[in-house]
Amino acid sequence: MTAPLFKYGLFGDEISLIVAFGIGIAFGFVLERAGFGNARVLAAQFYFRDLRVLKVMFTAIVTAMTGVYVLSRMGVVDLSLVYLTPTFLWPQIVGGLILGVGFVIGGYCPGTSCVSAATGRIDGIVYVLGMIFGLIGFAEIYPMVENFAHSSALGQITLSSLFKIPYGVLVFAVVVMAVVAFVGAEWAETKFGGKKPDADSLLAPAKTLAPSRLLAGGIVGLGVIAAVSGDPYRGPFARVDTRELALNAGTKADHISVDQLADWLVQGRNDFLLVDVREPAEFAAYHIPEAINVPLAALSPDIADRTERIVFYSDGSIHSAQAWLLLKSLGYSNAYMLFGGLEEWKDSILFPRLAADATPEQKAAFDKRAATAAHFGGAAQTGVAPATGTPTETPKLAPPPPPAGDGAAPAAVKKKKKEGC
Amino acid sequence: MIETTIHRQNPMIDPAFHAWGWEIPVYLFLGGLVAGLMILSGYHIIRALWDKDRAHGHYVTAPILSLALLTVGMGALFLDLEHKLYVWRLYLTFEVTSPMSWGSWILLLVYPALAASALLTLPQTFPKLARRLPFCSRCAGALHDCPRVVQAIGFANMLLGVMLGIYTGILLSTLSARPLWNSALLGPLFLFSGLSTGAATIHLLAHVRRPDSGSDDFSDAVLSALVNWLRPPAPGHVGTQKLEHADNSFLTVELLLLGLFIVGLLSSTEVHQRAVELILTGPYAAAFWVLVVGCGIVLPLTLQFLQAQHRIRSTVVPALLVIGGSLALRIVIVAAGQASAWTVASH
Amino acid sequence: MTDSTDTSHAPRPHVNPYWAGFALGLVLLTSFVVMGRGLGASGAFSTAVATTVHAVAPAHAESNAFYAGYLGDGTTHPMKDWLVFEVLGVFVGGFLSGALANRLKFVVEKGPRIANGPRLAFAFVGGALMAIGAKFALGCTSGQALTGGALLNVGSWAFMMCVFGGAYALAWFLRRQWL
Repeated sequence: MTAPLFKYGLFGDEISLIVAFGIGIAFGFVLERAGFGNARVLAAQFYFRDLRVLKVMFTAIVTAMTGVYVLSRMGVVDLSLVYLTPTFLWPQIVGGLILGVGFVIGGYCPGTSCVSAATGRIDGIVYVLGMIFGLIGFAEIYPMVENFAHSSALGQITLSSLFKIPYGVLVFAVVVMAVVAFVGAEWAETKFGGKKPDADSLLAPAKTLAPSRLLAGGIVGLGVIAAVSGDPYRGPFARVDTRELALNAGTKADHISVDQLADWLVQGRNDFLLVDVREPAEFAAYHIPEAINVPLAALSPDIADRTERIVFYSDGSIHSAQAWLLLKSLGYSNAYMLFGGLEEWKDSILFPRLAADATPEQKAAFDKRAATAAHFGGAAQTGVAPATGTPTETPKLAPPPPPAGDGAAPAAVKKKKKEGC
Repeated sequence: MIETTIHRQNPMIDPAFHAWGWEIPVYLFLGGLVAGLMILSGYHIIRALWDKDRAHGHYVTAPILSLALLTVGMGALFLDLEHKLYVWRLYLTFEVTSPMSWGSWILLLVYPALAASALLTLPQTFPKLARRLPFCSRCAGALHDCPRVVQAIGFANMLLGVMLGIYTGILLSTLSARPLWNSALLGPLFLFSGLSTGAATIHLLAHVRRPDSGSDDFSDAVLSALVNWLRPPAPGHVGTQKLEHADNSFLTVELLLLGLFIVGLLSSTEVHQRAVELILTGPYAAAFWVLVVGCGIVLPLTLQFLQAQHRIRSTVVPALLVIGGSLALRIVIVAAGQASAWTVASH
Repeated sequence: MTDSTDTSHAPRPHVNPYWAGFALGLVLLTSFVVMGRGLGASGAFSTAVATTVHAVAPAHAESNAFYAGYLGDGTTHPMKDWLVFEVLGVFVGGFLSGALANRLKFVVEKGPRIANGPRLAFAFVGGALMAIGAKFALGCTSGQALTGGALLNVGSWAFMMCVFGGAYALAWFLRRQWL
């Protein structure tokens, strides 16, 4: 089994929404259980009365962090496929400060305000209204701040790669930091908040193994293992189900014919990605409309969603078949190659030829082909010459029809929607 | 060569395939709701004849509310009609085989039945208004003196309610070009959905307009509704408990019928299977599972079950969810049904 | 059974924060494993606002880069978005938990020294600020601090420190609201 399940095509977009609803229910339920539907509980954090927010947040972070590390270390989860929000350092620092100020003024953050509104807190409902007002306001000023919002981009980067610390060591460091923070928080609660320590407080002098100490111990233990066991599993090490691959290739289920592709393009369908794997210079000279250029050498494991339909083409069939194999092995379920490649595209779409002894049916079909050829900027050939020798009279390729604005950058993959928050 | 095509029956891409917009689902929803209210209030009218102590609750508001809702629903239907000026022609003939014809005649009978029960309940619903209309209250008094007539009005309401409820489903299932609607279960399904919506509406009225608030006037009623909305509901109101039980049985039957509807289509031809896949895994799956089944049926069922056991406080939320889910059911069925025709056309 | 129901109308205490955090971490981990993405909240409101504005003033929404980012490429309805359905679930889950713990109540949460009006005004202003901050930071406490924190995302940790910093810096001035 390989995860993330969704990105390996176990289910589609539509089912993912149902999954979202289920995960949301669990999320809301836990937030409410933790007391985060109540602004007083949340705000107590900032007066050292009750450091619940810190405890819940850091326990959650540490749990998920060690969990995802262990799973990816075991090779179950491909960490490169778990979406990482790109870092824009300054906007995120400024945004964090504004958000923190909003937190102490309003008493909630967006997620907790939903829970508080759902349980009837009037301030929570008003807070949500304020948030909607703020969003409309932000949209209006967005053109002015857009440059700033995109400044100091560091890309998708983890602390581990920024500071050149092994991922596992960092996991251990965060775990230790969290446990120290918890002990500090309980000390602060008794010192400033005048709160009596809970029965199973981490600070309590009793020697018993209270459940929360077991939890802390367990996670620290996992952290120690993380520190010594190396890096988590990330994508490019591909795996192949050879039987499935053989079946795919054998039944030609991996082929798209040039006619089919031409039909799709004429219909203006946008549910597939057409990828030219030739060199940029060749791409610039001619490429099929709507195609983007990703030279074979630059093919990366995150070219598109794992479920996206991708059609490769090259001059002949070899390079596209190689690209197809690479992507199949990376778990792309909908990779295809253009049968016959660009040669076939030229011969039967751009410059179709009518044989001299054509039957009326063939003639009728040819008229349709001629229209398609004209659509793609080619020209039908009614040459009488029999197609025996090399077609020396093959005309030069017409310049590409209205160039797609994608340019030659491999990054110009169309993204449906932003994945982050 | 294996043909691989992805169907994109998406309303945003092919708006032309969706000839029916919001009007028809709203009409079907209000029609079903009125049918449910008619059955419940008709039953109440008959029961109240035998059992003089029976609490009126908000059953008495139902007929007047139904009149208003039905008029809104008819307005939505009227908006959808291509030739608005020829609507009267429906009433020149009666086609036994045409559901449209049946429907228009049922609606013609529904109005007087509703008007009669509204007249009957006017003095209890809006006493102040009734005092200003002495003729109406005199009529109501005279009607109350003849139990036979009251009984007939009650029966007529129940019968017409059942017919109206089933008709809202049959209306779709006779359009055989749409495979998703080719099920005889649509009629009962929409009837029970209407019943649960009706019970939820009366439940909602009980929450927003208390008998003890002493409001006679309409404006008073609106004000007190707003105030009551913000007040936590009184725990364990006897009438609302009965309604919760009734609503839960209607919802259970609705869920079963929905299951049978799906199983029936799944065990039918491939075209039907593909049609029902539109709502099971296809482009309408999220709306169907989350809004119709999850929020519209399972969640209120659970909440009302817990309320009945006094495990949780009684709120208006289940009633609101049932009403929303019932509207979502019709929107999804109508939208997915229209998309299902396109699937067939493409093959 | 009657005994337990009679006494159960008092709100139940919140659960131990460490175990709540552990459960929250498992929810987040489930989201990573199943979906390959974390939790979120503010994005759903952005989508809802963008969709509404688009319905009212299509030209305005399409010309605005912020709205356009949430409207997608037009192949699916913009509200058919992962975060929208997730937040719908958050409302349902929060309500369920609140109902089961007897915490459903129409009430304004505030300290004893502030009236309802000012508290609600603060809530409104706080919400508006929060939305602006979340949009600059590409996420809120759920989408950035929690999710990115668990993935050791650089921006998320910077963001998280700033959230606590901003809140603690201003807390003293707002103590009348809460204490």
